[in-house]
Amino acid sequence: MGQRDIISYETSVRRKSGIRTAAKMCRLDVESAVKGHEQHVNIIPSSRYMVGRGVKRKLSECEDPTLDLPYPQQRQMVLDLCLNKLQSCQRRAEPSLHRSVLLANTLRQIQREMRQEGVLHSLESPPPAPSLPQALAAQRQSPEVAPTPSDRPDTPVATFSPSPLCEDDNAVSGCIGLHKRPWSEDDGKSPDLLLGSFEITNSTSYLTDLQLDDIFEDIDTSMYDPSDFSVLACPSPRVNSGSSLGSDDNLKAFSSSSALQVCLNDLDHIMEILVRS
Amino acid sequence: MAGVGGGNDFQWCFSQVKGAIDEDVAEADIISTVEFNYSGELLATGDKGGRVVIFQREQEVSLPSSSKNRPHSRGEYNVYSTFQSHEPEFDYLKSLEIEEKINKIRWLPQQNAAHSLLSTNDKTIKLWKISERDKRAEGYNLKDEDGRLRDPFRITSLRVPVLMPMDLMVEASPRRIFANAHTYHINSISVNSDHETYLSADDLRINLWHLEITDRSFNIVDIKPANMEELTEVITAAECHPHQCNVFVYSSSKGTIRLCDMRAAALCDRQSKFFEEPEDPSSRSFFSEIISSISDVKFSHSGRYMMTRDYLSVKVWDLNMENRPVETYQVHEYLRSKLCSLYENDCIFDKFECCWNGSDSAIMTGSYNNFFRMFDRNTRRDITLEASRENSKPRAVLKPRKVSTGGKRKKDEISVDSLDFNKKILHTAWHPKENVIAVAATNNLYIFQDKIN
Repeated sequence: MGQRDIISYETSVRRKSGIRTAAKMCRLDVESAVKGHEQHVNIIPSSRYMVGRGVKRKLSECEDPTLDLPYPQQRQMVLDLCLNKLQSCQRRAEPSLHRSVLLANTLRQIQREMRQEGVLHSLESPPPAPSLPQALAAQRQSPEVAPTPSDRPDTPVATFSPSPLCEDDNAVSGCIGLHKRPWSEDDGKSPDLLLGSFEITNSTSYLTDLQLDDIFEDIDTSMYDPSDFSVLACPSPRVNSGSSLGSDDNLKAFSSSSALQVCLNDLDHIMEILVRS
Repeated sequence: MAGVGGGNDFQWCFSQVKGAIDEDVAEADIISTVEFNYSGELLATGDKGGRVVIFQREQEVSLPSSSKNRPHSRGEYNVYSTFQSHEPEFDYLKSLEIEEKINKIRWLPQQNAAHSLLSTNDKTIKLWKISERDKRAEGYNLKDEDGRLRDPFRITSLRVPVLMPMDLMVEASPRRIFANAHTYHINSISVNSDHETYLSADDLRINLWHLEITDRSFNIVDIKPANMEELTEVITAAECHPHQCNVFVYSSSKGTIRLCDMRAAALCDRQSKFFEEPEDPSSRSFFSEIISSISDVKFSHSGRYMMTRDYLSVKVWDLNMENRPVETYQVHEYLRSKLCSLYENDCIFDKFECCWNGSDSAIMTGSYNNFFRMFDRNTRRDITLEASRENSKPRAVLKPRKVSTGGKRKKDEISVDSLDFNKKILHTAWHPKENVIAVAATNNLYIFQDKIN
């Protein structure tokens, strides 16, 4: 029953807190009352996104006075929203591939735009992203969803070095600092990595697909060079999929030979290591 | 006020509402799909709890005094059968629960006394047979009336069991279970016009099934890239052509529709027709792609047109013209300036459905605040109505609603900021022959019909 509660339906949380009659006002949206023929000063953004003093206020005389925030800030906000949603998407009991794809596309589009404008100029050489094969292998092995960039939610919103577009935002310089965010490459990859984990796998195929060798890759078996032993006398210490290391049948066949006691002891030792890992 | 759907005197009236009234709605009761059968006699709903409820229309009542012998009232829909179609499952490997929510119900054409429908959740499709039993045999030899076995030695004479009438019992039994063919979430099922096959679509693949065969299906569309990281587009809906059994369409999250001909190739990855409207550069925003994602596609009954629903509009396409729709109807354009808020609260991802009326002259789709919209294709008139308990007096005429977008709010208008975005009408259905509509508002099902003069 607990699982069922986790299933998220957009309204269920809101419903519990009472029916909301209006969509929460997003800074990019306009009060519908503003639209009209009366001359109106632009809307004061909520304190959360309050820009510093000295920001130019534009008179919204144009047809569509939605842009009271400078474009790069709008974009940054959407970017943050996107990232948050992608992360929360993965944490849900029922991740939606459709939604993740839409979010990832929006994210990519914003990143592309930012790159084109040269805003990421100073972040051109990001630290290496986690290698893909490892990440994918990690996904396959554990039922956990792909590792999301965990450092992101808590880092403050980093603004970039002032670009020609941000003239008005000199007052925002309080936040200016190039937080070395290695996310530029990661973000391109992380939404993508998330997409790989969506398949409802069939448990039997999972086992046959999995290369058991990969699990044991990192175990150092160099001490147990198979060439030291006679090939016939002792089964290889490396695990082959489908074969059983130290199976009873194999052991019984060799148990008589005293020269192979050493081999068997080594075998046991290796088994111990493998089982422990 | 001139109405939509049936001419100038036309007016929609409240007929019935089904479902609990309490404010506190159990999540399992939320209706997730609504569908009339081919004759309109039966109306099926599926909910998030995996249950299917079928309503049957009672016979129309005629007043003998009526000069034209017109029915006094349209038949009402009453519960005919209720059954648990799907149960929640658990994918142990991914630690994910597979929801029992019924995503779609599609009726099969009736071939005998029983009715059949297909219902699907995210992973499994089931064929249910709903049959009536109104007779039972009485006078068995080997058992008593209450079912106890009789002692064989006590039987001295034989009798022939006789069929006696009994109270009507409606039984639903699962006749076929089509499972394990979809890795991703199933979003559509559609019965083919050959009445032998049907298709099922998930985010990345479409399969063709034979109704009699459950252990095999043909994969006819596969858009999964070799590298999942290159995925940028998913399938959002699919439907078979109503008359040509070799043709089907599927829509995508990028606002495109592909029409495929199964005669062309076994794997229909290459479309025969590609429908896409060029984007209007002046209305481009961060959310352009998200709002262009098509949430529903429906062929017209004639098979000449198809209709698509994206977040803000409904478009009618002529199958012979791929580069743009022939008609575009704005459902709630006033939301365009609110897209960021709707993105924040996830409403922008809501999937609205749309439907045609029987003659293809009108289309209907839902909106927020329990509003739903109807467009008359001939007169170009549109109307906004509300499904609410306040308008629920029997045969009360529905008053058209209006959302005010300007600064001045007229009387009876509602401003955009007062809309309740929790009350959304995602699922609607129109009777195949008459002006009767079913509108699902969260856990309530409203039935409206035209006013009989």
